[in-house]
Amino acid sequence: MALNGIAIFKLTPKKNCKECGCPTCMAFSMKVAQGAMTIDQCPYMSEEALATLSEASAPPMKTIKAGVKPFADNKTDSDKEYSLGGETVLFRHEKTFVNKTRYASTVCTCMDDAAVDARLASVSAVDYDRIGDRMYVEFIAVDCAEGTAPEKYAELVKKADAAGRSLILNVKDEACAKAALDVCKDKKPILNGADASNYEAMNKLATEAGVVLGVSGASVEELYDTVAALEKAGNKNLILDLGTASVKDAFANGVLIRRAALKDGDRTFGYPSLVNVGKLASGDAHMQAALAALFTMKYGSVVIVEEMTYAMALPLYGLRQNLYTDPQKAPRIEPGIYPINGADENSVCLTTVDFALTYFLVSGELERSGVPCNLLISDAGGLSVLTSWAAGKFSSGSIAKYIQEFDIENKIKNRTLIIPGKVAVLKGDLESKLPGWNIVVGPTEAVQLVKFLKDMQNA
Amino acid sequence: MPFTKKLQKFNATIRTVELGTGDKTVKLGGGNTFPFYTFDGPTANPAKIGIEISDMGLESEPDCIKAYYEGCSTVAEIAKKAASFEGVDFVVLKLEGGDPNGADKPVEDLVAVAKEVSEAIDLPLVVEGCKNVQKDADLLPKVAEALQGKNVLLLSAREEDYKNIAAAAGLAYDQLVGAESAVDINLAKQLNVLIKQLGVDLGKVVMNVGSAAAGYGFDYVISTMDRVRAAALGQADDSLLMPVITPISSETWTVKEASASEEDAPGWGPVEERGIDMEVETAVACLTCGSDAVILKHPTSIATVSKMIQALS
Amino acid sequence: MTLFDRVFSGSDAVFGLTEGAINNAIEQYGADKAVAFPNTAYSLPCYYGVTGTKVTSLAELKEALGVVKSLMTREQKLNDAFMSGIATALCAEFIEVLKYIDGAEPYSEPCYGHLADAVIRELGVPLVTGDIPGVAVILGKAPTADEAADLVKSYQAQGILVTLVGDVIDQCVEKGVNMGAGVRVIPLGKDVTSVIHVVSVAVRAALIFGNVTPGDAAGLMKYTMERVPAFVNAFAPLDDVIVACGAGAIALGFPVITNETENIFRVPKSLIVQEDVSKFNATSLEARDIKIKITKIDIPVAFASAFEGEIVRRKQMQVEFDGSRVDCFELVQTKEASEIEDHKIELIGPDFDEFEKGSKHSIAYIVEVAGKSMQSDFESVFERKFHSYMNCIEGVMHTGQRDMIRVRISDAAYEAGFRARHIGEVLYAKIKNDFDAVVDKCQVKVITDPELVTKLRHELAIPAFDKRDDRLKSLTDESVDVYYSCIMCQAFSPSHVCVVTPERLGLCGAVSWLDAKATNELEPTGPCQVITKEKLIDDRIGEYEDVNEAVRRFSNGALEEVSLYSIMEKPMTSCGCFECICGIEPFSNGVIIANREYAGMTPLGMTFPELASMTGGGVQTPGFMGHGKHFIASKKFMKAEGGIERIVWMPKDLKEQVAERLNATAKELYGIDNFTDMIGDETIAEDPETLLAFLTEKGHPALAMDPMM
Repeated sequence: MALNGIAIFKLTPKKNCKECGCPTCMAFSMKVAQGAMTIDQCPYMSEEALATLSEASAPPMKTIKAGVKPFADNKTDSDKEYSLGGETVLFRHEKTFVNKTRYASTVCTCMDDAAVDARLASVSAVDYDRIGDRMYVEFIAVDCAEGTAPEKYAELVKKADAAGRSLILNVKDEACAKAALDVCKDKKPILNGADASNYEAMNKLATEAGVVLGVSGASVEELYDTVAALEKAGNKNLILDLGTASVKDAFANGVLIRRAALKDGDRTFGYPSLVNVGKLASGDAHMQAALAALFTMKYGSVVIVEEMTYAMALPLYGLRQNLYTDPQKAPRIEPGIYPINGADENSVCLTTVDFALTYFLVSGELERSGVPCNLLISDAGGLSVLTSWAAGKFSSGSIAKYIQEFDIENKIKNRTLIIPGKVAVLKGDLESKLPGWNIVVGPTEAVQLVKFLKDMQNA
Repeated sequence: MPFTKKLQKFNATIRTVELGTGDKTVKLGGGNTFPFYTFDGPTANPAKIGIEISDMGLESEPDCIKAYYEGCSTVAEIAKKAASFEGVDFVVLKLEGGDPNGADKPVEDLVAVAKEVSEAIDLPLVVEGCKNVQKDADLLPKVAEALQGKNVLLLSAREEDYKNIAAAAGLAYDQLVGAESAVDINLAKQLNVLIKQLGVDLGKVVMNVGSAAAGYGFDYVISTMDRVRAAALGQADDSLLMPVITPISSETWTVKEASASEEDAPGWGPVEERGIDMEVETAVACLTCGSDAVILKHPTSIATVSKMIQALS
Repeated sequence: MTLFDRVFSGSDAVFGLTEGAINNAIEQYGADKAVAFPNTAYSLPCYYGVTGTKVTSLAELKEALGVVKSLMTREQKLNDAFMSGIATALCAEFIEVLKYIDGAEPYSEPCYGHLADAVIRELGVPLVTGDIPGVAVILGKAPTADEAADLVKSYQAQGILVTLVGDVIDQCVEKGVNMGAGVRVIPLGKDVTSVIHVVSVAVRAALIFGNVTPGDAAGLMKYTMERVPAFVNAFAPLDDVIVACGAGAIALGFPVITNETENIFRVPKSLIVQEDVSKFNATSLEARDIKIKITKIDIPVAFASAFEGEIVRRKQMQVEFDGSRVDCFELVQTKEASEIEDHKIELIGPDFDEFEKGSKHSIAYIVEVAGKSMQSDFESVFERKFHSYMNCIEGVMHTGQRDMIRVRISDAAYEAGFRARHIGEVLYAKIKNDFDAVVDKCQVKVITDPELVTKLRHELAIPAFDKRDDRLKSLTDESVDVYYSCIMCQAFSPSHVCVVTPERLGLCGAVSWLDAKATNELEPTGPCQVITKEKLIDDRIGEYEDVNEAVRRFSNGALEEVSLYSIMEKPMTSCGCFECICGIEPFSNGVIIANREYAGMTPLGMTFPELASMTGGGVQTPGFMGHGKHFIASKKFMKAEGGIERIVWMPKDLKEQVAERLNATAKELYGIDNFTDMIGDETIAEDPETLLAFLTEKGHPALAMDPMM
């Protein structure tokens, strides 16, 4: 049971020393309650308080770090490695999901060189920006076919490593694993190869190399026992492989493990998970796309496919981006000028708020209209039209200020500005604040935009 | 201590709604676990897939869809062909030609198309209006009247036009009512309550709680559906216990990821593959959150999603 | 003779006729002869609906007549009269079905006689949706053919379905009234028994649309009463047979309006005498509680939200009404229904034509409303909409409220023909449409006579505003019987539920108890639902069993218990739209409050956004709570922890905004003068130590209170 901020505060030294980085003990306590800080970040906690709190405030699911990021995920990202797991809820509406699913393409010792080269080239090909996030294939899974010689495996690992992504070593053979780690352990790969039969040896390798160990089991019960044994041996740097027996079993394992950890507080299963849909639907790219979506939703921390193509990635990364947004904060669009349908400086202007949902609806309809136009997005607090208007964040003042700040009058020659019908009330004020502009009240709903623009064009 | 599975049991069950007649009838809903949680309890009725066709024929379809209907010249022929693809459980006829801002076809013509389609196929039929509130309020009651005895589902009764459509479908002509609301659990609930107040048997209601393409505000879809299913099962909330149908293709084929040509988006690869994956992944995400039926249009998407549903049931 | 005697006499007469007709038919065709109405699956629909028995032959019809006889009891009681009325209707159905023997077509142009099931399914949908707002049954002969035609046309214009029985049909033909199912005027037949064909429509509607089981007579009558908005207009003279039929109509819930004055007995809401046929329409609609949707506002300029932001500048101004210079006001008043003539627009004083261009004048508009569910608490809710209504008129600008309004009319609007009474038309139409759930009748007075405006402002408007303000002040949590939920924010905060009470408005600051009440009344299935407060658990923290139950339901189970007056124990949750957050400040034993506009640091070491991220999302966070600004001065503000005395810090701007009210409450509760002087702000302290020093110096009462935790 998580503790609330007040309960934690009672155990703090209450001296507001600021050494933890927070201005007050209260602020620190609230951060710990939220899971944003840990209790041991306070230098003055008594032993007794620590003991009481660390058990209660420890997250139900560990955050495991793996890999080395080739670049930041977005502007605010400063992590050097990937964080996996660390979730606190089963559904996104309860609280924001924290560590997004990461994806991997696969190379295998069973592939010929040309195929490997092509696959590695495809990995770096998928790399684009979507609403501020850099979308790319974070991992390369390197499969070790049965009977592969260690040096051959190591050679493939080396080649994969050169592709500049983090690695997942899918290998059960101790010698191969060792050879591979020797090549790449500094890049913090995931060594995915422990099971009931070899976990002691694998544990030793992983611990020595300081890398995350992937664990699998013939059944969810066996997996549980192996994890328990590894924990007993002192390794809590694990990731759980959901298995490749069947789609049904892998999905069941994923849910049962996550539910046991978060709902029932069973810490043995409090680890992130890994699922290889490339194996579950070998050779069927569309089925792999389906399964990648399935396990992004529930509950894969790492999803491995055979080959991440743009076709698979575009919806998948969009889905992930939506899934991991804060349910209480509306997703926002960067303020700016968005030309649509090949608009230029002579095209008509429309304005709306920076609430992503509104933006998508409006821009979609504008695209559908085929009419070239400039969509002007100002900072409206990420709220919908009426809400931001009511909050005073989408006003004649804010729009006029934006027009000035973004130097619109020099960038665009057209002087017609269409405002959302729901804020028709701004028309008069805008006319006074933006002399020379023709302010037109648009429709109240985005779906009416196509007709509105066409009528306007024909008028 | 060994691991023991803790099962999640609910006291409520989603209503089962039967669509169509005869031995091709499909059952929607009936579940009492979260989607695909077969470890908590057996699947009552696996999720179903509808194939979308339009009264406008193939005119505005992407080339990759047109290819599947080569040789079809009438909507009835298209419907017949559509019904033959692997994994298709029912046919969804969109009467988009009725849109006053589009082709603005008269109601009688559209009703005639609906009749032709319903006679051409033996799979269950879902008829979707043109999305214009006024037109649909005229059109869908006429469709309900013309297809009496076929047990079709009419999409959709919305807040603005639910009275006409729900009264015609649910009361006058004994069809099924599709209740559509905009991605918000309370709006969904409210519409269902209003429809119930009209006197419509809630056992004849299927709801569409909204959809979006993956990446396009899909977060709202996820949370709305998650919450609808959780409230229905967990709270036994009568006004949310109806099966959920989610149109996918109408959302996914227009977004740029699925429609930008290979010239416009160099490096993105074949447009058909992108269209399929956008449709497949959006459908799967919806099914994971609680859709009891999804509406798609590419035969490969349908075969893929159908195969996945079988694998998880 | 009593009304009952007249019903019994008419009923007996019809029974006699029916018996004779059936016997004759048996003689003529034999008892096995089939009887049926064409194109219906419901046999003799009225008899089938009432008894659940289908009649297929003359022999069965005769048997059925025996059942009908058993209804005709003869005690001088209302129920006996109703049952005889029903019996009379069933007899009429029997007489009518005999006309259809051997597939005969007894009715010819323009009369319809029996109506097919398909017609009912088709009419049923608009009836259910309200597109056909009512069904008029006009029976007999109007005093003149013109009056007949005018009455029919008045209903037709309102979309009401009209059925005609008897001589009125000829009168309409004479006047060239367009008739037929397509134009919703259906002549049934010349014989009085043909009235059964409209009853048959009502009965089948109940069976088809109401899922009423045939034979469930009580269910049938409940359905027709509640869902079939029919009424009867019967012209004098009324014979006993018509009176008996009328009893049947009343039994089904259909009021009878007549111009008969001889030998008639008025029954409120059921049998109504209206001597003036031209008022049949208004009387009937009121009696049956039918409201007509207004689809077009009758003004010479456009009305749309697109004009809401339009500014009428001095140069384009035809005339101005300025409450800051001369007397002006706008007012909604609740009246008795009898005091209001619906849609009456009255102008008292000169019209715009008499004003010089660009001049300033007095104006008042008083909207008088009546309705069964109308409450005077809604007056201010309506009034607040006037601003938007007036601004939506093309060429009209409106600012302010109450007696501080300013209205400008543009010259373009004036030239288009816009005059004073059009203000009345707009207000009438909008109030009737937007608030149709509570407003049955509405009339508007537009006053431009300056002396009268001045007089009314002081004698009517200001006292009304004062009374409202007093009412608001007197509204306490204890003085009301129910609270309201508000779940408008659940799109963002799935499990959040606001419990809105008179002294604790919604935390967004936008939904007061009165607003919630009006929202609930106007949209009963909407976001504001009634929460009872009958089962008190703990008076100190304000916890009720019924409130908990409601919160559980509206949060879909996410929230179990809330208190209304505590921030430490089961505090109310917060969505994301709170105006302010209060949070416990442990070192001074009090709370600090930060408002959304405040961008700086608080003595808690957290900014507003940081506090918001911990408090929002519909999760209970003891020690922290979102709330509206108005709540700060409430006597219920964290009452459980000692109330407003606990407030130790708030941003300067906020302090200034709430100072007057907060100081008044502090004075009243604790006898403290200028309490806000003891409260810190960002110019005094942004850390707990400095704050504590300040509070100690000022002798802030919180320091001496029991610890909060």
